[in-house]
Amino acid sequence: MNILAMILAGGRVDELSVLTLNRPKSAVPYGGVYRIIDFALSNLMHSGIDLVGILSQYRSSSLIHHVGTGASWDFIGRKRGAFILPPSKGTISSDWYRGTADAIYQNLDFIDTYQPDRVLILSGDHIYKMNYGDLIRFHEAHNADLSISFVQRPEAEASRFGLARFDVSADDQGGPLVGYDEKPEKPVSNWASMTIYLFNTAVLREVLHLCIDKNMAHFGRDIIPRLIGNYRVFGYKFKGIWGYTQTLDEYWSANMALLKSEPEIDLKKWQVRTNLANGNIRDRIPSHFDSQAKIENSLIYNGCKVSGQVTNSVIFPGVVVDADAEVKDSIVFYDSVIEKGATLTKVIADVGARIGPNVQIGIGAADRPNVRYPDLLKSGITIIGRDTEIPASVQISKNCIVAPSLKATQFNKNVYHTGEYIE
Amino acid sequence: MNDTLAMILAGGVGSRLNILSYWRAKPAVPFGGIYRIIDFTLSNAANSGIENVAVLTQYKPLSIMRHIGTGEPWDLVGRTRGVKILPPSQGRKDSDWYQGTADAIRQNIDYINNYDSPHVLVLSGDHIYQMDYRKIINYHKEKKADVTIAMLVIHDLEEAKGFGIAITDAEMKIIDWEEKPQQPRNNLASMGVYVFKKEFLLQALKEVRGDDFGKHIIPYCLADKEVRLYAYPFDGYWRDVGTLRAFWAANMDLLDKKSGLDLDNWQIMTSLQEANQIADSPPTYIGPGAEVKDSIISPGCEIHGTVLRSILSPGVYVGKDSRILNSVIMHDSMIGDNCLLNEVIADKSITIESNCQIGVGPGKNVNQKFPDHVNTGLVIIGKLARVPAGTTIGRNCIIFPNIEASVYPGKFIEDGETIMARDSIEKGGLLFT
Repeated sequence: MNILAMILAGGRVDELSVLTLNRPKSAVPYGGVYRIIDFALSNLMHSGIDLVGILSQYRSSSLIHHVGTGASWDFIGRKRGAFILPPSKGTISSDWYRGTADAIYQNLDFIDTYQPDRVLILSGDHIYKMNYGDLIRFHEAHNADLSISFVQRPEAEASRFGLARFDVSADDQGGPLVGYDEKPEKPVSNWASMTIYLFNTAVLREVLHLCIDKNMAHFGRDIIPRLIGNYRVFGYKFKGIWGYTQTLDEYWSANMALLKSEPEIDLKKWQVRTNLANGNIRDRIPSHFDSQAKIENSLIYNGCKVSGQVTNSVIFPGVVVDADAEVKDSIVFYDSVIEKGATLTKVIADVGARIGPNVQIGIGAADRPNVRYPDLLKSGITIIGRDTEIPASVQISKNCIVAPSLKATQFNKNVYHTGEYIE
Repeated sequence: MNDTLAMILAGGVGSRLNILSYWRAKPAVPFGGIYRIIDFTLSNAANSGIENVAVLTQYKPLSIMRHIGTGEPWDLVGRTRGVKILPPSQGRKDSDWYQGTADAIRQNIDYINNYDSPHVLVLSGDHIYQMDYRKIINYHKEKKADVTIAMLVIHDLEEAKGFGIAITDAEMKIIDWEEKPQQPRNNLASMGVYVFKKEFLLQALKEVRGDDFGKHIIPYCLADKEVRLYAYPFDGYWRDVGTLRAFWAANMDLLDKKSGLDLDNWQIMTSLQEANQIADSPPTYIGPGAEVKDSIISPGCEIHGTVLRSILSPGVYVGKDSRILNSVIMHDSMIGDNCLLNEVIADKSITIESNCQIGVGPGKNVNQKFPDHVNTGLVIIGKLARVPAGTTIGRNCIIFPNIEASVYPGKFIEDGETIMARDSIEKGGLLFT
């Protein structure tokens, strides 16, 4: 069977604040060396699906660099390939993708080139390990037109998702859907859509032509509820771990969850692959720990130099932790430098941040949320934007956001209180 | 730089590396966590802008071939760039194995003639050093030399004894040569790096009957006053890691900022695509209670114990309460709980079960079977070998590749002992005959 995968990787996810200012959610770094989209790409590789279109819209360049030739996931060869599909001008003067279904609709010509029997539509935003072959076999066994993968979530948060109502005939594996509600206020079930759709190509084409004319651009909101009853729509029950990281808290926790000997998200067992040419990761030397280094319960990749103290943290390639510096409960992206005597507590520092000597970040109490993002940033995390330079001895309390690309001279005071947005 | 063709001699047996080169040619022996020895020469060539590199293999070439692949990691891919593996092939005689360094080049004259490059740079794949070949090539051109030899400036004459030594005039023209002299007359030691004017190289290979650069080609040059044979002094880091002690010490030099071996300033590139290489490795996890100091750690490791002054390749596991000291531990090796390793070189995929002590004891004996190879206290553990739980191993010991727990005579292995199976020698026969 001929299967083409389409990854929706263009979304920004405003809830991640400055982390997604310059990159889509799918390109956010995760777990010490990866980008979030690596999970979908590695799943495809391990499932033997080797033809993939990647639909990007928001700030595509980081994705274009990351996917490269696709060789990292073995998408290279005469009949294999990974293609970035940005919006392009069509018959209408501006054809930005208006929604998930519209993005696929605008690339029907790409799909037609390969004439696949099935189109597997995925999101690039989630952290999970799945053999799509199981979903495909389920789909074929039920002779389905559309199969959607669902995962169980706690009742309390179920209304954040599209929810399945299964037919009584559904078993442990799944079954026919009798209803689908997109983010209902009162949850109708706890089976949440993973936004993984397997379509018979003919059905997909037919549905998209019908719906796009009527301005229905989203699969979850507009299309799936209308298909039930008219097509053979099935729900597949996924039993594995599904990391949903749409808020800063969830993102931070999903990283901290890796700090165990055998974590639920087991990067080693999952054999997640990334593009080591992106950011020159592959040219970096192994990490060096000097005689004063003290590191515990942390993840670290190549190219780091540690002289200070690192505890309960995730450290990406190229990070420098100088002597007497202390990094605790933090996530430090590529090439950030923590200078002598600086302390970071529960900080997410974006790529290339430079933390000056004796700077203290994440001190004080988390008694006020962030002024700009009061609903999203209140648990005490502090975010340092990309390439920002924090001058010596500055103190920054919890729930603060420091905007990207600030120069040391742009800091006009020495103490920033809980919840400030520094720009 | 496409006026110079590089030829790397990578066929050496490296018998003094003992069981490390049981499975592979010496240039393919892992080094510095993620590298192999030949990465230094390949990266030097790539960093010097040399576009075409040939790698001459003979002894157990598989790991080298797999490692080099298309040459892409060193950017030796493209319309004008490339790396070619040149194994011995049958010629006019029945068996044309390479008889020596010069003979290996001689048998590949066809390859050299395929290129217009007027200069040929002959290199060895056995050495750890960082060198910009552009400088010696420019020097060679300025001197209008027929041959230029890179000479390490040796600061302690005692150390010059094991090398080919050049005696030069004021212009650095080589006027005499001593091979491994007892009392060196000069401090310039050959690094096995030669730049030849192509025409001269072809002529010399035709006229000289002998097969070795040091023994035959250099005397040929010296015999004729007209031949422009020059020394190029090099005063940087260079090590022939031909012995286990030198191999271990060069690894340790990576931990010493003052050693002169500085991977930050001269990029060493390697292939990450081989099986078990770091392309599939997650970040290293350093657990609660672990201690890692003065060490180099590759990705994919899991460390629960203490690692001091050591080099870990990808995928190494160190159990709780274990201490790894002054050691080099290669890929995917597993060290259980409550072990002590001191001055150990462990090849890939070894297993040390819990409660072992390795490299402890007074070191009163050198290795009894291989006294010339293992005599400074190091313990060498071969690929895929296993050390059963609770074993104590003294110093100067060798554990052969693939050794199973059942082969051990007891829980105490004394200084200088070797653990091998009945068929170990047979399997390693090529190496030890």
